[in-house]
Amino acid sequence: MDLTFDEPELAFREELRGWLAANPPDPEPREGGEDAHYAWRRSWQRRLYEAGWAAPSWPAEYGGRGATLTQSAIYFEEIGRARVPMAANVLGLLLGGPTLMVWGSEAQKERHLPPILSAEEIWCQGFSEPDAGSDLASLKTRAVRDPAHPDGWVVSGQKVWTSGAQYSKWCMLVARTDSEAPKHKGLTYFLLDMQQEGVQVRPLRQITGEAEFNELFIEEAHVSDENVIGGVGNGWKVALTTLMNERAGLGFALQVRLRQLLDDTIAAARERGLLEDPLYADALAELHIRCESIRLLAWKGLTDVERYGQPGPEGSLVKWLWSDTNQRLTQLAADIVGPQALIAGTSWSYELLRARGNSIEGGTTEVLKNIVAERVLGLPRLKAAV
Amino acid sequence: MDFGLSEDQREIQRTARELLSERARWERVREHAEARRSDEGLWRELCELGWPGIAVSERYGGQGLGMVALSVLCEELGRVVAPVPFLPTVLAAALIEQGGSEEQRERWLPGLAGGETLGAVGVAREGVAELVVGGAQAGVVVLLEGEGEGEGTARVLAAAGADAGVDAGVNVDSGADADVDVNADSGVDADMDVQSLDAIDPTRSAARVSARDGAGETLAGDVAGGVDRALIAVASELVGVSERALEMTVEYVKERKQFGVPVGSYQAVSHRCAQMLLDTEQARSLTAFAAWTADAEPSRLPEAAAMAKAAASDAGREVTAGAIQAHGGIGFTWEANVHWLYKRAQLDAALLGGARHHRARVATLMTS
Repeated sequence: MDLTFDEPELAFREELRGWLAANPPDPEPREGGEDAHYAWRRSWQRRLYEAGWAAPSWPAEYGGRGATLTQSAIYFEEIGRARVPMAANVLGLLLGGPTLMVWGSEAQKERHLPPILSAEEIWCQGFSEPDAGSDLASLKTRAVRDPAHPDGWVVSGQKVWTSGAQYSKWCMLVARTDSEAPKHKGLTYFLLDMQQEGVQVRPLRQITGEAEFNELFIEEAHVSDENVIGGVGNGWKVALTTLMNERAGLGFALQVRLRQLLDDTIAAARERGLLEDPLYADALAELHIRCESIRLLAWKGLTDVERYGQPGPEGSLVKWLWSDTNQRLTQLAADIVGPQALIAGTSWSYELLRARGNSIEGGTTEVLKNIVAERVLGLPRLKAAV
Repeated sequence: MDFGLSEDQREIQRTARELLSERARWERVREHAEARRSDEGLWRELCELGWPGIAVSERYGGQGLGMVALSVLCEELGRVVAPVPFLPTVLAAALIEQGGSEEQRERWLPGLAGGETLGAVGVAREGVAELVVGGAQAGVVVLLEGEGEGEGTARVLAAAGADAGVDAGVNVDSGADADVDVNADSGVDADMDVQSLDAIDPTRSAARVSARDGAGETLAGDVAGGVDRALIAVASELVGVSERALEMTVEYVKERKQFGVPVGSYQAVSHRCAQMLLDTEQARSLTAFAAWTADAEPSRLPEAAAMAKAAASDAGREVTAGAIQAHGGIGFTWEANVHWLYKRAQLDAALLGGARHHRARVATLMTS
């Protein structure tokens, strides 16, 4: 058992930390709304890209550094710690690119990977639908052969929870291509060109007031065969690759942010003399313990895969524990800072409200518990009565 | 970074698992629990393997294999709720090794490491510790008092004849229902009065221990370091208890059918199991980290030990309670084996300070 980092890993962290310190992003724009904010994230990604830091986990041949899982986790920890903006093309970098590397043809990789890295072409994700959230495989967006073009498809349907859609060039779209096949087998994974007439983007306003996400209305949009990823009818497997990546790297940045929020909360408690109150001290200590266990479980999960090839139960547990902890933390913070957490527009009120989404996005807690129960503990699933 | 055990540690784990699955099956545990009797045969085997001294320095007769190795053994013994005085003895050894003078170490550790001397550690107020696990059989008891800002005192108290290496394998055949305070270990030259108690966990002895005025010796060394190691040993046992409770629960809810299906297929039940896993794994990771700091990064030990004890105490109680619940009516019977785990968890959760106490320490440490 050795819970330290080795020399190359420490050097990697030092190098990145140094670069981030020497190359801070421009100040966050105060005006210009979401467009200005997005442009800020895009120019930040370009800076990362130019310095070779946009996607260290990508193989060197595709513009990355071939970073190990541990180095990748370190990368996200440092990104989180430095409180720099999320790269504009985070979905392309974390989901699209890695999916193409597994399932894409050489031509597809050559065509798409470079502009993902440089933020020239932004990617979004078209998976969930109003009637297909947890039960993703029941999705209804339909793709049929285009009678007018032998190597083309016509797609119609609706997607929801698509972040960054209004700035995106490509959408990772899962659609049904065979209605006769069992629901998991009739799906195909497409790259949908967002800049065409049949695609409409409508912002989806969330409880915090702004719209990180969108609805997509797709009406007879066109996709050509060259933008089928992984083969017709293989969409579910390709989608699983994307979903697996969704839980991997970003978690390390989120953990660090959780830690920072806890530190801010402790500072707020101290300012108000609440650290002397044993009830607050107890609640803060509990959160501190949870934060540390999240960090340990995440590292254990990652290093077990790296060393022994076998994932343990940690993967399914960490996201659940993180979301629950962030919700408890932001609620306790509200108790500590009082009105500041109840006035619109403050960071405390934003965190309080935004945290409600944590136990829903990226796999609801209910689904995660099912996964733990069924796949980790081997419990039987209840079959619906026929 | 590597959370895995070394080859040697895995060997210890394998050996313990095999030995205990043979020698500490539920029927044997029950037999000894119901008789309130230590399993002398099993204890002897553990002593022959040198396990009570696994973390004691070689110079004092131990194996010097460190805290992680001890943690592994505590976990394995917790899994089976082994009716042996292992834990209280290793707690005493940890306090004396870290907190004792050279002379005190030389006097006590070889006996503790070899198992000829049984030990116990308790928390006292004005010289009286209300419930000391292992207290009724111990040849040496360490009483901790007045933690406050972590500046407490530790006193080592000897039972009569303990210095002479009396074989403390002799059972104190005493129950709390005796009319007379049975002080079989106490005598004219004892440092303490020992009143045996019937704890709800009958797999280990328990006693009210009161120090006689001016008796015993102070431990003037790194008492805090000894306490931290003791906490990790208890936390490790709690992890084992929790793990076993979850295993038994999963097995049961797969088998037990109601309404034509295994009850484990209902989400109320399966989600409870998922929560039990989460609680156990949190405690496990914190305890493993703490054990590692004891061996490799002692500057982080105090906070790590407090976190581990807090998390493991809560996990132990919650998970074993969940296990009873998930077993339904059966879980509430004396006949089923779930309650032994619950009772062990209750005793361990309170041992050397419960979750609230250690969270308060964490709060102090994290804000200083």
